[in-house]
Amino acid sequence: MAKDTGTGAGAGEILLDIRDLSLDFRTPRGRVKALRNVSFPVRKNRVIGIVGESGSGKSTILWSILGLLAKNAEVTGGEIRFEDRDLLHASEPQLRAVRGEEISVVFQDPMTSQIPVLTYARQMRDILYRRPNVSVAEKRRMAVEMLAKVGIPDPEKRIDQYPHHFSGGMRQRAGIAMALLTGPKLLLADEPTTALDVTMEAQIIHLLQDLQKELDATVVLVSHNLGLIAELCDDVVVMYAGEVVEAGEVREIFHSPQHPYTRALLECDPARIDDVSRKLPVIPGDIPDLTKPRAGCIFAPRCQRVQEICRTEKPPRVARSPVNMARCHLLAGPAHDPDWPPDPSVITVGRGVEADATTHKVPAEQTLLEVSDLNVQFETVGRISAWLKGLETRHVDAVLDVSLTVRPGETVGLVGESGSGKTTLGRSVLNLVAGQAGSVRFEGQEIRAMPEARFKPLRRDMAMMFQDPVGSLSPRKSVRALITEPFLIHGITGVDLDAEAERLADMVRLPKPFLSRYPHELSGGQARRVGVARALALNPKLIIADEPTAGLDVSVQGEILNLMADLQAEHGLGYLIITHNLPVVRHIADRLAIMYLGRIVEEGRTDAVFAHPVHPYTRALVEGVPQPDPDRRRVHVSISGEVPSLLNRPKGCDFAGRCPIAQDRCRAEKPAHVTMPDGRRHACHFPLT
Amino acid sequence: MGFYLLKRLGLAFAVICAVVLVLFSLLYLIPGDPATIALGPRASPEAIARYAERMHLDEPIWRQFLIFIGNALTGDLGVDVFSERSVTTIVGERLGFTLALVGLGMGWAMTLGIPLGCLAAVRPNSWLDRVTGVLSVSTIAVPSFLVSIWALLIFAVHLRWLPAIGAGEPGDVVDQLRHLILPAFAIGLSWVGYLARMVRASMLEVMGETYIRSARAFGLAPRRVVFGYALRVAILPTITLIGMGFGGLISSTVFAEIIFARPGIGKLIFDAVMARNFPIVQGGVLVATGLYILVVLISDLLIAWFDPRVRESL
Ligand code: SF4
Ligand code: SF4
Repeated sequence: MAKDTGTGAGAGEILLDIRDLSLDFRTPRGRVKALRNVSFPVRKNRVIGIVGESGSGKSTILWSILGLLAKNAEVTGGEIRFEDRDLLHASEPQLRAVRGEEISVVFQDPMTSQIPVLTYARQMRDILYRRPNVSVAEKRRMAVEMLAKVGIPDPEKRIDQYPHHFSGGMRQRAGIAMALLTGPKLLLADEPTTALDVTMEAQIIHLLQDLQKELDATVVLVSHNLGLIAELCDDVVVMYAGEVVEAGEVREIFHSPQHPYTRALLECDPARIDDVSRKLPVIPGDIPDLTKPRAGCIFAPRCQRVQEICRTEKPPRVARSPVNMARCHLLAGPAHDPDWPPDPSVITVGRGVEADATTHKVPAEQTLLEVSDLNVQFETVGRISAWLKGLETRHVDAVLDVSLTVRPGETVGLVGESGSGKTTLGRSVLNLVAGQAGSVRFEGQEIRAMPEARFKPLRRDMAMMFQDPVGSLSPRKSVRALITEPFLIHGITGVDLDAEAERLADMVRLPKPFLSRYPHELSGGQARRVGVARALALNPKLIIADEPTAGLDVSVQGEILNLMADLQAEHGLGYLIITHNLPVVRHIADRLAIMYLGRIVEEGRTDAVFAHPVHPYTRALVEGVPQPDPDRRRVHVSISGEVPSLLNRPKGCDFAGRCPIAQDRCRAEKPAHVTMPDGRRHACHFPLT
Repeated sequence: MGFYLLKRLGLAFAVICAVVLVLFSLLYLIPGDPATIALGPRASPEAIARYAERMHLDEPIWRQFLIFIGNALTGDLGVDVFSERSVTTIVGERLGFTLALVGLGMGWAMTLGIPLGCLAAVRPNSWLDRVTGVLSVSTIAVPSFLVSIWALLIFAVHLRWLPAIGAGEPGDVVDQLRHLILPAFAIGLSWVGYLARMVRASMLEVMGETYIRSARAFGLAPRRVVFGYALRVAILPTITLIGMGFGGLISSTVFAEIIFARPGIGKLIFDAVMARNFPIVQGGVLVATGLYILVVLISDLLIAWFDPRVRESL
């Protein structure tokens, strides 16, 4: 999709020009200077990506373009020129005429961004409300046409449905249709695939690529996902803490980043790191407090190359060409370093404390957790209504014939999209849901359907790390109370709780003063560490971690993963990591189990699975991850269709409806699990060779 | 959906049975002969005998109960002890007055309270929001009988704008409406406060939802966003509140009906209790309960109509 307009001077006409935009948020803590002198042009018919981590201000830019900022926001300077108008100083009716008509948005989470009580027909007709001389029937026809264009099957019928009738991927397609309905001049996309599963994400990326090509649209894409940016964008703006640190053409940014932050960000992305060491690079520290004015470079506190001058003087804007620029003292002026940036093979950021890539441990031979042929069923309809409706089965199989082992000191990644049953499997290991058949053994002891009273002492040996640490932590308890809470829950007395709290804080490298803080005062990474400390409190042998890095920025997720690896090496912990994030699991898991519709379709050593997937679904997942390299834009076609509902599990292979190589046999016969000579197991009639 | 209605009707029947059971047991828990209790100590022996027969007092109590339920299902609620008219007719005559009063009272509370709540939520901390806040708290705090008395004193006695008592000339709609205004004002006033508060709270929540921001990002006019989108979702919890309030008002209009000397269910039951006119009490309470259940059911169906997700789960 990158049109090689080259990096020539002022390539392309400018549609939207952001100049010197500065903006504050008034908060009880003071004025947060969320954007400071942000400038960049959006050129016609090109896709520009704004990339940054949380707190970088990337979404704020998007909302300022639309004039839909939060009430406590105050623009302190600059202008946003759209064609001949200044949107920052336009009146509300003027802005309303632009919104949805000339500038439209694709939203992040299609689950919450579409009103649940109105049909798509009504929502789309409302968007066209400014056209009084177009009849209702005509508006409907336009909407149906647009739904068909974004790949919604049977749009005539589906337009009368409500958002909850659509799956996540379909909703996002509908969201794109709504945004394009009026034929806007500028399309804004706010993390358009973040809420989607890998295979859906791949489909949406394809759709956006095709549409952009077809419509020659101008797009501003906001994302933290470097892969998405590399796949879709022509130009990139890198934001850090409210400032543009670097901007330029996409290949320049990804292949020869000039700013230390851009460089570090790229190095931290697990999807880019090919050597599977257990340690991931991290950018130490947290985003600065934007209520305090700061002289010098905003990135200085975390920069590995910081100089004296960086702390006192604003770095200069150094332009390599009319479209490429970066702000850093290393690039010009007295601190100019002609050897910067170094060769791409050099890692410029640290790998966290105790950077030691050799802690590769050999898992012990005995098993810690052994699940065999586990089945978990959920009741879907009540007894009476099943009887009334004449239904024969009232259950769905959420987990079907699952066998899995975890040894001490081993990390097993359980990978699957939503609805794959991975979370249910995790919960049944913890005896939180009861399996109907099969066995779950913990250190040789059968625990499936064990009464809670007998199970409780065992629960000390297994700990759960939750997905959303801040949400799962009680907001009124201090960190000290939180990390020692497991002792109270299990009624363990006779320990010095204060000493334990300090021991645990030390273990997860949480500085002592944090013990008296409260969850809302913690950053994402710190809260996650509290979660780890809680899980470790009772010296468990097995930790089940549900999406341990979900919602964390790339620059800090390495910290948590490295910490988990260190703790494992020290204490011989077994990890069962439940996730949909393949790049992350690739770096930490020894073995992978891929789940689809409640079954494990492939299981084996991580490196082998990645290098050579045998199951077509695994291959789709591995190839579906957007690559943070504009030269490796996907060439293959993403797998079509969606995960079928558990209610109508296919008779043969569960994946048959979407499998590119499905045969008649696949539709008739459920593939059994087969163990290959190298110990890999799969469930496919025609494994890939 | 059919299954859901069946379940609800079964539930309604059970509730009505329970209410009848309580009414029955009251009669038998009071020491003494039920007929004497029902008719009062000065009733003639013939009247007592007639009553005992009509009420099947010689039958075992569970049979009496079943007979009553059976009759009630066919629309026969028994006969008034004094006038010997059918209870169904008597209750029916009064029902219209109560429904008109409750309908008008709730109606004006809704037309004022819901928009007030909306506007307050759209502009939080504006003067309108503050006024609404103070207004709600004060109208909720003042009991409706006090409002009734004050309204009567000011508008009827002092200013003589509106008639004080009665329900108006039968057949004269304008006169009947004039008689409705003060009591409807009195019973609705606190509901203005309730509704404004409730709507404001749920509107504030909904206005923060992502899909409202989407609607605004598509350039929809503020009025469409507030009333066409946000209110459509925010009204759902309020409908339940209105349904329960409506049902509750049917029996709790008694103060207004007494103070304004209006005929109505509440006053009917009140008078019947005073006169120990047991069949009327029984019939009146039964009809009020039935109405209550009906209104709550309607409000649930209304929610289902507004919200497709609820509709499909029925
Ligand atoms: S200006 Fe200095 S602190 Fe800032 S990024 Fe460049 S080298 Fe690092
Ligand atoms: S069994 Fe057939 S349909 Fe299923 S994954 Fe293998 S080839 Fe595809």
